[in-house]
Amino acid sequence: MKRNLVVATLVVFAFSSIFLLSSCAKKQVITEEKVVEAPAPEVAKEEKAAVPAAKEEKMEEAKIERLKELEEAKKREAAIDEEKAWMERRAAKFEAEALYFDFDKSFIRLEYRPILQEKAAFLKDYPDMRARIEGNCDERGTNEYNLALGDRRGSSAKNFLISLGIAADRIETISYGEERPRGLGRNEASWSQNRRDDFVLVR
Amino acid sequence: MKSILVSKILFSGRVISQLLIGILVLGIGIIFETNDAEARLYIDITSPSMRRISIAVPDFKCLGHKNEPPELGSKLAGIISNDFDLSGYFRPLDKGSFIEGPGAGITRDSINFKDWSVIGAEFLLKAGYECIGQQLKVEARLFEVFSGNQVYGKRILGLVEQSRYLMHRLANDILFALTGHPGPFLTKIAFVGTSTGQKEIYLADYDGHNLKQTTSHRTITLSPRFSPSGDRMIYTSFRDSGTVLFMHDMIKGGTKKISDREGLNIAAAWRPNGKELALTLTISGNPDIYLIDTTGKIVKRLTKNWGIDVSPTFSPDGEKMAFVSNRSGSPQIYILDLRNERVERLTFEGSYNTSPAWSKLDRIAFAGSSDGRFDIYTISPDGGDLRRITRDQGNNEDPCWSPDGRYLAFSSNRTNGNYHIFISNANGENQRQVTFFARDQLSPSWAQQVK
Repeated sequence: MKRNLVVATLVVFAFSSIFLLSSCAKKQVITEEKVVEAPAPEVAKEEKAAVPAAKEEKMEEAKIERLKELEEAKKREAAIDEEKAWMERRAAKFEAEALYFDFDKSFIRLEYRPILQEKAAFLKDYPDMRARIEGNCDERGTNEYNLALGDRRGSSAKNFLISLGIAADRIETISYGEERPRGLGRNEASWSQNRRDDFVLVR
Repeated sequence: MKSILVSKILFSGRVISQLLIGILVLGIGIIFETNDAEARLYIDITSPSMRRISIAVPDFKCLGHKNEPPELGSKLAGIISNDFDLSGYFRPLDKGSFIEGPGAGITRDSINFKDWSVIGAEFLLKAGYECIGQQLKVEARLFEVFSGNQVYGKRILGLVEQSRYLMHRLANDILFALTGHPGPFLTKIAFVGTSTGQKEIYLADYDGHNLKQTTSHRTITLSPRFSPSGDRMIYTSFRDSGTVLFMHDMIKGGTKKISDREGLNIAAAWRPNGKELALTLTISGNPDIYLIDTTGKIVKRLTKNWGIDVSPTFSPDGEKMAFVSNRSGSPQIYILDLRNERVERLTFEGSYNTSPAWSKLDRIAFAGSSDGRFDIYTISPDGGDLRRITRDQGNNEDPCWSPDGRYLAFSSNRTNGNYHIFISNANGENQRQVTFFARDQLSPSWAQQVK
C-alpha cells in the first residue's frame, strides 16, 4: 500500500512537471497558441486516466488555472493587436502629413510645428523606426537651385526633429528638387502642393 | 592675296591633320581651286549687330548619271541653306523666288547673274554632285552676284551616308573664307530629354539632327556639361541615395562615377583647364561649392555661406567663378575671385537671377525673372551692359554658349508649352528652334567638334 502511494505520488509529480513545462512554453509562445493548445487536453486526459479519483479535485483546479492563463494570453494578444494597429495608424499619419513651404523659402511655417512635434513623439515611441525626409520644390527656377532648395527644406525639418530630441542618425534627407511634382499645373494651386517635405518611414 | 590665304589654310597644321583624318578615316578629300577673285573678308562678324546677307542656294545639280537619287540635290542644298540661316550671317532666299532656267550650269560662264540680282541675291552658291558607288562627290562654287566673281570654290568627297557631315564641313569652310572664323556647323549639343518619361541625356548635331540617346539610367538625369575640348561630359543622375556626379567619355564611350558623397553632388562646371570641376556638395550640411579634380578628390572649398550656393561657371582664364547664391534673400548671381577669395554681387535687377554661363568672349548669360516668367539676359562680368535676349515668348531658361562664344543656346516653351532648344546669335538676334522632339528638351550644353 505504502509502495503504491509512493508510485502514485511519483506519477502525479511527473505529470504535473509535464503540465508545468507545457504551460511555461505556452506563456512564451503566445502567437503560436494553437500549436501549443493541441497537446494540452491530451495531457489532461492522460492525467485523468492515471491519477486516482482522490487527486481529481487538484487536477480540476489546475485546469481552471490553465484556462485562465489562456484567457489572459488572448487578452494580451488582443492588446498587442490593438497596439500594433494604433502604431500603424500613427505611422500612416506620419507618412501622409507633408509640410508645405513658401516660394523660395525653407523655414518651417508656424502652423506645421505641431505636426513635427507629433512626428517626433512617434519616433520617440518607436525607437526602431528611422525616417527619410524628401525635400521638393515647385518648377520655377532652375533644377540645380531647386535641388539645393529641396535639400534645405529637408534639413529644416530634420533639424527641427533633432531639436526635439531625435537622434540625427535616425533621419536621412534626400532632395528631389522640382523633379517629383504632385500638382502638374503651371499655377499657384499646383506649385503650393509641390513646395513640400514628404516623410517616409524606413523600418 | 587669295592664294596667300589659301596656302595659309592649306599648310596650317590643323587643316593638314583634318585632311589626313578625313582621307584616312572618313574618306573625305578637299581640293582647292584657284580663282581670280580678290581675297577679302566679306563679313565682319565682330560688329555687334549685322545686316544679314542674302544668299541663294539652288538645288545641287546632278553631274553624274540620270539614275542617281534625284532628291539628293535638293536635300544637300537644304542642309547647307539651313546652316547659312542658323549662322545668323545670311538670309537664304526662298526657292520659290528663283527664276533661273534649267539650262544654267554651275560655272561662272554658264550663269546669268541678272537672274539672281533681280531677286535680291547678294551671294549665290552653285554646286553639283555625283554619286560613285557609296561615295559622294560635290563641287561647290560661291559667287558674288553683283560682280559675278567666284569667291570660293572646292570639291569634296565623302560617303553618301555622311552627306550631312559633308555639307556642314562645306558650310564651315565657306564661312571661314568669308569671315576668317569657322562656323558652328560641326558642333554638337547635349541636352536633357523627357521623351521616355524619365530624364536622360541626348546628343545631337547643332542643328538638331543626328539624335542619339547618351544615357539610359532610367531615372532623373540632369545638367550635362561638356569639357572644354568636348572629349568628356559630366552630368548628375539620381540613385536611391540621392544625386551622383558622373563623367562620360565622348570618344571611348565609358562612364565613371566622380562624386557620390552623402547629400547633393550637383551642377558641376569645368574649369577651362579641363583638369578641375566646381560642384555643389552638402557635406557641411549646407549647399556649398567645392573645387574637385577629375577623379573626384576635393581640391578646395570655394564658398562658405549659410545660404544656397549653386550653378558655378568659370571665366575664360579660370581665375573667377560666377555662381548663384541666395545669401541676400533671393537667388542672385555673384562672382568669386579665386585669387583673393573676394565675392561680389553681379545682378541687382529682378527678383530671381540664375543659371549663369560665362562665354569664351567674356560675357555672362543668365536666366532672370521679375514677373514670374524667365528670360535670357547677358551682362558684362563687371556688371555693365545688361542686355535682354528674350521677351514675351514664354519661359526661356538654361542659357549656354557655343564653344567660340558667338552663339547662345537655351530652352524655351514658346511654341507649344513644351520646352525645346533654341539657338541665337550672341546678341539675341536670329532665334531659331533646333529641337522638335516629343515632350521637353532642357538644359543644353554645347561642345566643339572633338578633334
